[in-house]
Amino acid sequence: MSDHDFKGSRILIVEDEESLAVGLEFNLNEEGYQVSIAPDGRQAIDQFDKEQFDLVILDIMLPYLNGYEVAEHMRQSDPQIPILMLTARTGIKDRIKGLETGADDYIAKPFHLEELLLRVKGMLRRKAWYKSTSNENPTIVIGNYTVNFNNLHCVSAKNEFRLTPHEAMLLKYLIDHKDTVVSRQELLENVWQIDKPVETRTVDIFMARLRKYFETNPKSPQIFKSVRSAGYLFSTEH
Amino acid sequence: MKKSRTLFYPIFIFVLAQFAWFVMVGLWIYRYITSNMISEYVGEHYSIQIVSKSANVVALVGGLILMITVSVAMALIFRNLTSQLKITIMYDNFIANVTHELKSPLSSIQLYLETLNTRSVTPEKQKEFVNIMIKDAARLKNLIESILSISGMELKKIPFDYQLVDAGETFQRLFRESTSQLKLGAESVSITGNAPYSCVIDPNTMRMVVDNLVDNAIKYSQSSPQITMDLSIVRNHVVVKFIDNGIGIDQEEQKHIFKKFHRVYNRSVPNVKGTGLGLYFVKEIIKTHGGRVTVQSEGIGKGTTFRIELPIYQAVKQRYINNLLKLAQKRKNRQEEINE
Repeated sequence: MSDHDFKGSRILIVEDEESLAVGLEFNLNEEGYQVSIAPDGRQAIDQFDKEQFDLVILDIMLPYLNGYEVAEHMRQSDPQIPILMLTARTGIKDRIKGLETGADDYIAKPFHLEELLLRVKGMLRRKAWYKSTSNENPTIVIGNYTVNFNNLHCVSAKNEFRLTPHEAMLLKYLIDHKDTVVSRQELLENVWQIDKPVETRTVDIFMARLRKYFETNPKSPQIFKSVRSAGYLFSTEH
Repeated sequence: MKKSRTLFYPIFIFVLAQFAWFVMVGLWIYRYITSNMISEYVGEHYSIQIVSKSANVVALVGGLILMITVSVAMALIFRNLTSQLKITIMYDNFIANVTHELKSPLSSIQLYLETLNTRSVTPEKQKEFVNIMIKDAARLKNLIESILSISGMELKKIPFDYQLVDAGETFQRLFRESTSQLKLGAESVSITGNAPYSCVIDPNTMRMVVDNLVDNAIKYSQSSPQITMDLSIVRNHVVVKFIDNGIGIDQEEQKHIFKKFHRVYNRSVPNVKGTGLGLYFVKEIIKTHGGRVTVQSEGIGKGTTFRIELPIYQAVKQRYINNLLKLAQKRKNRQEEINE
């Protein structure tokens, strides 16, 4: 899919700083996107429920409802919507909380315009990749579960739950690279598009979650295997 | 440096408490051994019972005193640690808020500079962007100044310029200036009553008080704000009330809002901007003027009234108020000498 295909994508900016929101709107418009602005958490949810968006740029410290709450609501109604958190909070705990509540990516204020635009494009591209591959193969069986990549539902005879978009993307990447060792760095670069080595713990957190969902005994994993000092290996052959 | 000093105090009390505990146990053992020795060596010449009784009483009283000392020391340690913990939490909140407040205008300035640098922007848009940057730079300046003035306020370093002025006139002027600067229309503001009496006021720092109260009334209002300033006289004091129709403050919060770094976190509060310093400054400034400030609100959704009391000069002529005037005069003279 060429970058041209993303022109006209609808982006919702949730930002209470008017000057920042106006500047972002101008730049995203220049790139060919259609932009709406919500100045607080409540209006963000209202707009999100009424209109269709392809991506959300979300601040954390917002009036009425904070960014985490807004992200959770958006995830409930649209599990696949890419959310880019844009915030002044840069602590590792804040990043993990953001990713856990449903953000796909994280960019710290003050940011470089070029970096932000690249991330937006990357997220739209990933969304398109995910959509096209999940359309080809919408369901897959892992362990006792059948995973549906369209609605992110995992169903077994006894249990049912929903993956977060990031868990789904990670799983999708591992399935696409079945029986190949993938390093944490590679996962960060391709699934999260983060390139700092310090963030590798994020991958471990997500991998632990996938093991908890699909492994019979998560302490001795058979499907999501660890490869010492190399990374992870997805395999359905025991 | 500060941290090691704050740690020293609880550790010192803890060591002292341990020492007291050992002394108490030591004393008990000592008393036990000596009373046994007495009974062995002195034998029937003395009434053993009496000696041992008196020894037990001394040991018991001594032990009790030491026990109380240990308990008090422990209570002191816990009190100290609890207040330390509270300060740490407040400080963390402050840092988080200040970080947010500093980074937001900075991000905006950086965004516009990079936009102007990388894109072709029409002259009208250029002007608009430059104006936004000027506003953001002013916000940064105000924030940095308010952070720097915390220590100044605490060390009484702020060069207050106290003057004997007509309180009613001064407050009316400051209120009008503040509301027009914050772009409040005539329909949103009103002034009632009057207080044509002289008070010792530094108009510049009092402007900070009025600006903060008007700004809060706007920030914490759901719809269009209505702010009334009411002037009156109550028992030798000029009373200035700032009454708004905003979201109000619940009873529990009212006790804390003047504390340094305190922020109200509430679902119905529409604004998250701020450092938790504004009302702290208001309280400190009014205090240095010899007055006091209080807050009244029936609760959430019922508006808020801030009430400032300042002593009328002719009626009180307190030494404190006269000293303020003398201090300001001295500073002025010194400044004139320097200028000459």
